[in-house]
Amino acid sequence: MKIGDCMKRTVVSIPATATVGEAAALIVARHIGLLPVVDAQGRVLGVLGVRDLLTLELPAFVNLVDDVDFVHDFGAVETTRPSPEALAQPVTSLMRPATMVPEDCGLLRAYALMLQRDLHDLPVIAADGALVGIASRVDIGAALLAGWRGLPKGGAP
Amino acid sequence: MIPGLLATLIFGVSLYLIFSEKLNRTIAGIAGAAVMVGAGMALGFYSEEEAIAAIDFNTLGLLLGMMTLVALLEPTGFFQYLAVWAGRWSRGHPVWLLVLLGTVTTVLSMFLDNVTTVVLIAPVTILISEILGVSPTPLLMAEALLADTGGVATLIGDPPNVLIASAAGFSFNDFLTHALPIVAAAWLTALLLVWYLFRVELGQRPPNAEAVLQLNPAQALDDPVTARKVLVVLGGAILLFFIHNRIHLSPAFIALGAAAAALVWVRPDTHKTFQRIEWGVLIFFIALFVMVGGLEAAGVLHAVAGLMARADGVPPMWFGVMMIWGVAALSAVVDNVPITIAVIPVIESLGVVGMNIRPLWWALAFGAGFGGNGTIIGSTANIVVASLSERTRTPITSALWNKRGLPVMLATCAVTSVLYVLAFPLLSR
Repeated sequence: MKIGDCMKRTVVSIPATATVGEAAALIVARHIGLLPVVDAQGRVLGVLGVRDLLTLELPAFVNLVDDVDFVHDFGAVETTRPSPEALAQPVTSLMRPATMVPEDCGLLRAYALMLQRDLHDLPVIAADGALVGIASRVDIGAALLAGWRGLPKGGAP
Repeated sequence: MIPGLLATLIFGVSLYLIFSEKLNRTIAGIAGAAVMVGAGMALGFYSEEEAIAAIDFNTLGLLLGMMTLVALLEPTGFFQYLAVWAGRWSRGHPVWLLVLLGTVTTVLSMFLDNVTTVVLIAPVTILISEILGVSPTPLLMAEALLADTGGVATLIGDPPNVLIASAAGFSFNDFLTHALPIVAAAWLTALLLVWYLFRVELGQRPPNAEAVLQLNPAQALDDPVTARKVLVVLGGAILLFFIHNRIHLSPAFIALGAAAAALVWVRPDTHKTFQRIEWGVLIFFIALFVMVGGLEAAGVLHAVAGLMARADGVPPMWFGVMMIWGVAALSAVVDNVPITIAVIPVIESLGVVGMNIRPLWWALAFGAGFGGNGTIIGSTANIVVASLSERTRTPITSALWNKRGLPVMLATCAVTSVLYVLAFPLLSR
């Protein structure tokens, strides 16, 4: 089985000209984790996910202290919101380089890439570079598990 | 004549590379030391044996021993634990936070490396400021300024002090009787001045003061068992420092002995522990010792001292005050370790020509210690807080440091100069 067989073929993407605020609104409306950022020809320039957007809200100390288990109340930072200027910046200023795979990529290879690069969604491209689908860890993981022999039929025991 | 000029040229070029940061300081140091020994052997003014003899193993042993103890204490979360307690005790009041975090940082930096102390306390400071909803800038700057100021009080508080003590033969207690009282006054001046300069920021009542009360110090201490062991050993070492002269033990032996005891007791993953030791700093020290040894062997330092001794019309007391300000001005813009290593043999040569050099050692310690407060690059602790602040919403800029840090340097040097003059008879003994 290849990634092309388990991916979602309807991909919600965002044009490179959109703002960070528009990206956030799209993620909220479609309840998705990752938006490929595409140019006018539909080629992927990068990706922007929930994680990237939330760096605008995350306090600095989370990246400075190894473990936050001793902080029981985040106090003022719980109510910190990004400034209007931060939301008006283009998505290209916050996006990161995309890890993408071709449609015929094997499932284990795709899963290993996601694990090692700490990704939750993997955009899939055709031979000409056009975005054709996106697969999540659950899509790939469930497809892999479905290949196990001797699983009880019909799901729940 | 030619050896002197060549040695001066080699040292000058190396210092230029170190201070301009065109080359990593350890690399520049090793290269300079190699060229100095090579030139010395070629022209016959400096040998390999003399180069090895120029290395001050007292300083290296003391630094290595203390670095090992810190490397063991660092991952236990002990520093984080103290900072969290300070946060709770302040009940979120900014001025109390300033006093408590400043005091914790100072006391730690009197016995441990200033940079490590600041590296470990500053992240928790940013955490406390963020959950309170106040700017971390006054606290971060205060921590660097107070750690550097307080470190001057003890023999082990600051690398220049270790160097000076080793060269002058000062004991741990000499620092407590001669440096500590003056440093205490300078420290208080620094604290009050930081409070005054940041009075607007520190006057605000944080909207979320109760959030700090929800911090759990016990959870911040990751490895209480190891922390207790290392603190017991460190406490024992500090007790021995108090009496090291009477029991005829060098500070280096005490520090290395304590490190050995702690390693045996804790039995850490040595790979990780030794990775935390700043070998680059130790090698930098060795390289500087070798280079300055070359300068000395070529007769340069004696010539400099001869020139300075001609200024014998200047009363020794004012000579000391001039040294405080001169060394402080240099330390504000460049690393105080090479300055100290270069000035030490000059002071020794002044002793040879008949000057009472005891007060000059203290002037060197004060100048090298307080000078670093003047600019954002004046000390490594300053650079650390500034670079950590860049990850927050309120980065500390060089211009801000000139407005709020430079006055602290000038005030501490002024207070120290007055006390130096008043206590001159005591400092001369």
